[in-house]
Amino acid sequence: MRRLPYLWTFLFLALAILLSIAIGSVFIPPADLWRILTGWLSAAPLPESLKTFAFIIASIRLPRTVLILLTGAALGGSGAAYQGLFRNPLADPYLIGVASGAGLGAAAAMSIQWPYTFWGLLAVPVVGFLAALLTVLLVYSLARVGKTVPTTNLILAGVAFSAFATSLTSFLMLRSTGELRRAFAFLLGGFTQAGWNPVLTILPFLAIGLGFLVLSGHALNLLQFGDDQAQQLGLPVTRTKTLILVAASLATAAAVSFSGIIGFIGLIVPHVMRLWWGVDYRRLLPLSIIGGAGALLLADVLARVVMAPQELPVGIVTALVGAPFFLWVLRRAKNQGYW
Amino acid sequence: MLKVEKLSVSYGQRRVLHDVSLEVNSGEVLALIGPNGAGKSTLVRAASGVIPLLGGTIRTNGDDLAALPPMRRARYLAVVPQAVSLPPAFTAWETVLMGRTPYLNFLGQTSASDEDLVRRALQRVEALELAERRVGELSGGEQQRVLLARALAQSTPILLLDEPTAHLDLQHQVSLMEMVRQLAHRDGLAVLIALHDLNLAARYADRVALLVAGEIKASGTPRQVLTPDLISAAYHLPVQVIQHPFADAPLVLPGAAKPPRS
Amino acid sequence: MFRKLLFALLIVTLFLAACGPSVTATPAPAATQPPATEPPAATLPPTAAPIVLTDGLGRTVTLTGPAQRVVSLAPSNTEILFAVGAGAQVVGRDESSDYPAEAAALPTVGGWSGFSAEAIVALQPDLVLAGGINPPELVASLEQLGLTVYLLPNPVTLEEMYTNLQTVGTLTGHEAEATVLAESLKARVAVVGLKIAALTERPTVFYEFDATDPAKPYTYGPGTFGDLLIQRAGGTNIGAQLQGQWVQISLEQLVVVNPDMILLGDSAYGETPEKVTTRPGWEVLAAVKEGKIYPFDDDLVSRPGPRLVDGLEALAKLLHPELFK
Repeated sequence: MRRLPYLWTFLFLALAILLSIAIGSVFIPPADLWRILTGWLSAAPLPESLKTFAFIIASIRLPRTVLILLTGAALGGSGAAYQGLFRNPLADPYLIGVASGAGLGAAAAMSIQWPYTFWGLLAVPVVGFLAALLTVLLVYSLARVGKTVPTTNLILAGVAFSAFATSLTSFLMLRSTGELRRAFAFLLGGFTQAGWNPVLTILPFLAIGLGFLVLSGHALNLLQFGDDQAQQLGLPVTRTKTLILVAASLATAAAVSFSGIIGFIGLIVPHVMRLWWGVDYRRLLPLSIIGGAGALLLADVLARVVMAPQELPVGIVTALVGAPFFLWVLRRAKNQGYW
Repeated sequence: MLKVEKLSVSYGQRRVLHDVSLEVNSGEVLALIGPNGAGKSTLVRAASGVIPLLGGTIRTNGDDLAALPPMRRARYLAVVPQAVSLPPAFTAWETVLMGRTPYLNFLGQTSASDEDLVRRALQRVEALELAERRVGELSGGEQQRVLLARALAQSTPILLLDEPTAHLDLQHQVSLMEMVRQLAHRDGLAVLIALHDLNLAARYADRVALLVAGEIKASGTPRQVLTPDLISAAYHLPVQVIQHPFADAPLVLPGAAKPPRS
Repeated sequence: MFRKLLFALLIVTLFLAACGPSVTATPAPAATQPPATEPPAATLPPTAAPIVLTDGLGRTVTLTGPAQRVVSLAPSNTEILFAVGAGAQVVGRDESSDYPAEAAALPTVGGWSGFSAEAIVALQPDLVLAGGINPPELVASLEQLGLTVYLLPNPVTLEEMYTNLQTVGTLTGHEAEATVLAESLKARVAVVGLKIAALTERPTVFYEFDATDPAKPYTYGPGTFGDLLIQRAGGTNIGAQLQGQWVQISLEQLVVVNPDMILLGDSAYGETPEKVTTRPGWEVLAAVKEGKIYPFDDDLVSRPGPRLVDGLEALAKLLHPELFK
């Protein structure tokens, strides 16, 4: 298991995708599922009895699976990038305020009655996305000292702003009790919009953000030695850090805008990958992306099943499962000195 | 060679280096000494481009280093920092391989010749057997040697060392200084080493520069700079300088001379 | 790290607390049984022409004929469907739809924490009846899956509620029964109105629907049916002066106002008159001293359906027992 990391991680993802398609609040017998899938592959028409199931799989489960896959990939990848950038094992994609900014934006957008049009329905995710990016920009400017952006400043500014944004969000939520439940659901994380629209909307941002991160493995390795040494070894430190920050924030903001705040994936998946397959970021980043996709899929399957037909917000599942899992990982890690 | 002319650096309002000028030729070791806070580390950091200059130039054979982007500058000048807070999980091999960065693309793809250089660098510092060990498991002396190997892998004509012996015990101090001297005398590097230990400077440096409160107070051979007057004034402590018992170098002893009995 | 764990624990606790009573508790009975709103027995044949209506989101909704398989996403919608005689046409409901009793037998498709599009699709409905409490994203998602969705807007007045009855009647082919129902409700409301018209005294009422913090309980403000019905039942809602629809009032304010009567809309969550008398600081209230604390079925004033009239009558009986036997 120590070798072939990509093989194992892809297998994990494939299994998660299969489960996500096969399991839902409506029970589809495995035999029927098999017949539907083989029917599609052979382009043969499906019997009438299977039409409803086929519809559920194609129009509900498939787009949802892809959306979750992308979200998990974004969280895993940017989590690994943030941990590398800040050299802090507790770093997660929300460290410098993306989550709190998106939450504030979404809560504010939810207190307005948008018209029921294509753009009106996109209002909440779009406002959330823009608010998330604005937050990162604000935190970055606050943290800048001359031409450099010291890591400590970023963390401090991020934490301070997050506290501010979170309390403002709570205030907004209390004021508009009608939308309280909706805003709360966003903050807990979940997938409310069905169909392919969310996927198509976030795909370009994820492609750019995650694409750049995958190429930044070597740069992140260098940054582990500190800004000084990285610069002395030839890395243009400030420019690289800024680009990595932008790429990771772009991916996270896009993911959060449709999925709400889902925690622990960005924190735990990179740690697990590091524990099993080492700290080289050239490998850690792609593995965290694939692993994050699979982990979130599994969490979502649980969220769908535990209280069917009601859906538990995914953020609760990741927290409940993630916290003890993280403690276990931490105990293993302490003995290995792998950080 | 490295030529620093009228270098000035400030941290905010506070001026830390005032018109510092010095020169290190290929094949020689220049030791930079001075009390804590004199600006030795700052000078090393400024020369390597980590902090911005207020004024002055840093040149090598006519090329202005300060104007170069980090990648290009790193092909001229390599730095060996103190071995503290190194990422513990990289192996010695991986760490030294980082030294090849100035010659690699953004993805960090290496070739057989890069690996060859890494192997030779590790051999040079007698650390090849540590190659697969995690840096976090190595001793201070071993870590320092790995950092030296990394700087060597960078294949630069100029080498800067920032108090590399600070946390090492005696035998590692000596072996490191021996290696450093060989790198200059045998391999022709221009070596600038910031040291707090005056006697190591005396024994292993060809020339010495005394930095006090951001200014060069004296520079020349060890005998010329390590005099009781200069050192006492710089360190605010009476010192005696005698001839080293078995090396051709002065020996600095802190404390005032006792008048002879009788 | 601990912060995250604590947060997670908090969420779990909140979640468990929230989902408990609403599903399992049976509300305490009101003082007397309100008259049952039974629709007339006749079922009329479905109309042949297509039905085109504009819903609460401004969407044009078209049905080829009256809906035969309806999924209801709000408890008030379920009540209305059964009340106009379309109960047999309902094939699915949300978790909180617990009235009438026949509704409980229907399969559920989700609830406050989200709906399962799959479960809805699996029931093959020809109409999904959403309510004001469902977010527009849900309507959009279901619409994209090819389902016909009609969002019944939240009424603010009784007239708007009657309109909703008519709308549901049209959608399900029970227009005549809906009309009959609306007329009978209007008649009952008129009766109450007549009886209280001559009143000179209107008791002040504090209606409590959440007392998690007994020093700052929640009550109905202006714009809610709770407020409206208390007025129409011949009372004065002390919440009417406050800002907002679901508002907190401090114990101090309560003491100053000193309501004549306290109604416990949160009796379904375990609040009882005895418990109220033990709350620190509440003993000075006149209503507490005279024992004028009454449990009340909150569904009768919070679900915007025909039972609002039941609620009106229940309130009138509590406020003016001598007028309403």
